[in-house]
This record gives sequence, C-alpha cells and structure tokens, in this order.
Amino acid sequence: MPGDLRAAVEALRRLAEESATAVTVMEVCGTHTVSAFRSGLRSVLPKSMRLISGPGCPVCVTDQGEIEAALSLLRRGVVVVAYGDMFKVPSASGSLASMRGEGHDVRTATSAMDALRVAEENPGREVVFLGVGFETTAPATATLVREARRKGIANLSVLSFHKRTPPAVEALAGAADVQISAFLLPGHVSVITGHEPFRFLADRFGLPAVIAGFDPEQILLAMVEIARQIRAGAPELRSVYGTAVRPEGNRKALGLLDEVFSVRDARWRGIGLIPDSGYGLRGDYGDFDAERRFSLVIVPGTPPAGCRCGDVLTGRITPPQCPLFRTACTPLSPVGPCMVSSEGTCGAYFRFHREERT
Amino acid sequence: MTERVSLSHGSGGRQSQQIVAELLAPFTRRGIGPELEDAALLPGGYAMTVDGFTVSPRTFPGGDIGHLCVCGCVNDLAARGASPDFLGLGLVIEEGFSAEELRTYMESAARTCADLGTVLAAGDTKVVPVGGVDGVLITGCAFGRVQTPHPLSLGNLRPGDHIVVSTSIGRHGATIAASRFNLDVVGLESDCAPLWPAVRPLLALDGLRCMRDCTRGGLGTVLCEWAEGSGVHVALDEESIPLSPQVRSLCDVLGFDPLYMACEGCMAVAVDASQTDRLLALLRASPLCGEAAVIGQVTGGEPKGMVSMRTLIGGERLVDMPTGELLPRIC
Repeated sequence: MPGDLRAAVEALRRLAEESATAVTVMEVCGTHTVSAFRSGLRSVLPKSMRLISGPGCPVCVTDQGEIEAALSLLRRGVVVVAYGDMFKVPSASGSLASMRGEGHDVRTATSAMDALRVAEENPGREVVFLGVGFETTAPATATLVREARRKGIANLSVLSFHKRTPPAVEALAGAADVQISAFLLPGHVSVITGHEPFRFLADRFGLPAVIAGFDPEQILLAMVEIARQIRAGAPELRSVYGTAVRPEGNRKALGLLDEVFSVRDARWRGIGLIPDSGYGLRGDYGDFDAERRFSLVIVPGTPPAGCRCGDVLTGRITPPQCPLFRTACTPLSPVGPCMVSSEGTCGAYFRFHREERT
Repeated sequence: MTERVSLSHGSGGRQSQQIVAELLAPFTRRGIGPELEDAALLPGGYAMTVDGFTVSPRTFPGGDIGHLCVCGCVNDLAARGASPDFLGLGLVIEEGFSAEELRTYMESAARTCADLGTVLAAGDTKVVPVGGVDGVLITGCAFGRVQTPHPLSLGNLRPGDHIVVSTSIGRHGATIAASRFNLDVVGLESDCAPLWPAVRPLLALDGLRCMRDCTRGGLGTVLCEWAEGSGVHVALDEESIPLSPQVRSLCDVLGFDPLYMACEGCMAVAVDASQTDRLLALLRASPLCGEAAVIGQVTGGEPKGMVSMRTLIGGERLVDMPTGELLPRIC
C-alpha cells in the first residue's frame, strides 16, 4: 500500500478513536458507491464509521412511471435512444431491453449526440432521446437540443428526466428517519454546479459536507476531513477535489442548462416528488419536448411487490436487509433498478460483498 | 430457459455460461458434449478449438480482425498445451464489402500463421445480402498436437498454487473501447499476439496446472471459472497485477473494471508454488511477457469457489463473475 494511503487510513483510525461517536456518511453519487466497494475502502474504515449510499445513481432514481412513458412511446412506433444502463430496468410492462427483443426500435447511446445521428438517418420516423442523469449529463442533452434546432431537425425530441442533485440531498438531510452525520459529495457534479448549492448542508443542517473525486485516495481524504470536522464540532463545506472544482462552477455549462431547461418538480424513485429537483425543456424549446409532442401523461409508478430500492436509495436500509436481495433479486433477474444499474447499490453489494453467514 | 438472445449472452460472463449450457444440452444429454475448456483434448493426443470473430473497428492499434482471429484460435490451443499446427477459416462476407480490405485481413492472418508455422488446411467463404452480417464475420478452427504429459484443466487447482499472468491486463478491451468511445489514449495498443512461443517452454514444468488466455470477460472471469471449477478460494493481490497507465486511465474515465477487460495476448497460469520462479524466468524470456508476475494464490480457505482481492488501499473485496454488458457510466 502506498505510504500516503497508509497515513490516511491511520489518521482516520486515530480520529475515530478520539471522537468515539458513530458516524454515518452518505455518499451521494453512484460512482462513489462503486469506487468504495471496488477499492475495498469500506473494509478499511474504522468500525465506528459507516458509508451508506444515496440517491446518486441516475438509472435508479428514474421513476417507474417515467420508464412506462418511454415504453409507451415505443408502442407508438417511436425510435427511442437511451443510455445502455437504462435498458434492463424493469417496470410493470417490461423494459427497454425486453421491448427491443420484441422488435421495437430501441438504440443504445454512449453520448446524447448519438440521437441526432439516429434522427438524421431516419428522417421519416420520430426519434426520442431519453434524458436521464444529473447536472453532469444534462448539459449534453442541452447541447443535443440546441444542435437539433440549429440543424432544423424536426423528427427529434427529448424526454427529459434529468434531475438536480442539491434538492434531493436537502430532502435527505432533513428527513427525520434517516440519521446522516455527513455527506460525501461528487466532485464532477460540483465542477458544473460549483460549491454554493451545497453550502446549506453545513449552514442550515450543521452537517459536514466534503466534495471529492472518485478514486479511493480522494474518498479516504474526504473521510479524514469529515472525521476531523466532527471531532472539532465545526461542520463546513470543503473540497478535497483540488483545482478542478471552481467555487462558481462551470459557467458555460450552467448557461447552457439555463438556456435549454427550466427547473421543475420531479419524481424520484423511493423519495417521491421533490420541488425544483428536475429539468424540463423551456417553452422556447417546446418543439423538442417529447412530453408535449406526444401529449404524454406521466403517472407516478408503484414499485414491484417487495422491492425496497426506495429505502436503499435513501439510506434507510442496506441491500442485504431487503428480503428479495440475493434471493428473488439478482443481477441476472433483477427486480429493482438498484440491482440492474452498474452504479446501483444493490448490484455493488452483490458483486463485491459477501454478508457474514449467521 | 432463455427466451431471446441478448448481447449480454455474448459478453463472456454468467449469461454466456448459461446460454452455452442451454445450447449444449441436446449433446450433453446424449453423452456426446464437449468439456468446457478453451480447447478440446481429442483421442490420439490432438487438440481442437473453434472461435468466431467480429470486432468493431476491424482495424485497431495493435492489429486487425485477421491477426486477431489467428491469435484467438492458437491461444486457445496454447492454453491447453497444444501446438498450432493447422487452421481452418470460415468467412461470412456482406455483399458490397471491399475486396481490398478483405485481402488486407487475409494478409495479416497469413503473416501470423507463417510466423507460427501454422498451415491453413481448410476454408470456406459465404456471401450474404446487405444486412445479413455486419461487414465480415470470421470463424477459425485450430487443430494441433498436445505437448503436455498431463491435461491442463481448470479443475486442477490446489491450495498453495500460485496464479501468474503473462503480461499487463486489459489492453485489447481498452483499445477497442477507446475506439468506440472516440477516446484518444496515447500509447494504448491491443496486446493481440500469439502466445504459443511464450508458453511452449512452460509445458515441461512439473506442477503446471492450468492456463487460459484471458479473452472475453478478462482475467476476472477466468479466475472465477477456475475457482468454481476446482472448488477452491483464489486470493488476489491487486498491487501485483500488472496494469498499464493507459488501461488504468481509460477504465477510470469510462467506469470499467480492468479485471473484466478483454485481453488477446495475456495468459493466466496456475502453477505449483515450488515451480513459480522457474515459470516466471521462462515466461520473461519471451518479449511478450516481460511483465509476467505472480498475482495471487489458491487457498484452502473460504469462500470456496470464489475469488477475493486484497486491494491497493489494503481493503478486501470479492471479484465476482460479471453479468451483463460492460457499460460506460452515465453520471
């Protein structure tokens, strides 16, 4: 183990011993979840420190009803373009993958711009891009919409389920039944949004909040910083991400988001409706809004029987506490999105962790 | 039972196992099915393997589909200790495909065969209408003579054995991923290479248990199959697994685990620990295997049938057989 890492692990152990209180840190982002598992970081944390996963897997927080809306478009003969991670998320009437198997036209995108190409290649057909993800992927969708307008592409529209991170974090920080001592915040979201949108965690809720990158070294540094703040009783917003995060964020990306999207309420799987937590297309870009073009009514979905993805996403339970985990719900036959997504918490537990046999 | 075949059935992990078992059932039921190894050992000391190739892009840094096809087939033979004596090639070509491009692939396939002393013994071409196949699909069948006294098999692993890899992992998969996602990674090249010359000297070693070229599904999948096949626990040490900075950074960007990235010129070897030093010296004599390293050990402990890894930061995690396609992260 490199020396600086050993030093960080040691520092964490010392701080944990000194403060002697149990600390529960929520990692907001799915990539942090996977990195913490893949690197074995969870196993080197002091016993008094616990990492729980939050609502930061874009596929996992997409509401059942939103997926149903996409499937309904397929049944109307529309070509749907979506990120690969969305394909296997099951909903009441199937998944994008099962619909593709039945002959509907679903295409995999690795970037939003792929949808533009599909639309250009299929001028006689309606093409809809399924926009999921947070502040990091929404600018790519905004660019897609702008390009579509510039090129005068009339057969492309966007179903925007993009979500904003700070309101969801706020909802969890204020939830009475989830005891969170501190937040680990994703560096790449903060590169776009800047520091300001997360400052309320320390100011209003008195919670340490540390912005970090995805490698285990960064996560360890963030955990040390959190432990230090807790021992000092001085919560604040700090970044260990270095120079990539400018306090004011990425003005260009924010400008793009502001031009194309307006903030609206959004439904998060497992959390419900959160005010101002979503991005819908602005009126000026209404022609590219698939909800409008196809008069879609999005009905809030109900999760499959027994599935507790919602409780997992909000840190209320860990996956092994769900009765379906590893029995009815596995990566091969997933019941909920947290088992499907490469960033999902249940999938990470399944792949990297073995529960103690009792 | 699988209803429809999906791309994840082709990704080399758990679903591939599942569909292969289903497809083989009519044969295994009649007692005429194959063993599930890289190549089949036939009566009379022969070995045989079949492998199909379709890759996008067809030409990539470090090789092309012609070279890849020969390497893939002969490496399967090499993994079972057999020489690459004969090759058969079947081409399914899409109408309209450039004949010039095809000749290029045949040229590079022939060059690789000539270097190995492999003879093209049989072949077939089919042309299908536009859309019948994506460009060209090449299937190779390789045939050779087994040169080990005892069969190498994934059921041979015993507690105490060392696990060795012949070179740094994941370079082919990373190269293809970089092309597909339009990422320009300086110095990243496929490891695509025939391994017979490198592993041939190992065959005389006592205590050589098993070899596998880590293709689809990567090193992680191979070791999961070994742990299951031998009913043992395999403990890896992440720090000792050779990994190029290029593969590491590409995996970071896309959210991939290098353990599951395909290799086309990397052999995993299990060997009795008393022979490890000799094995490493023999491997490192090959220009392809300068980075050969011991990366783990078979233990008598728990969990049996599974692989775990001591991570760079001193933690522990499981290495599970992958399910589904490798997908880039979207957040």
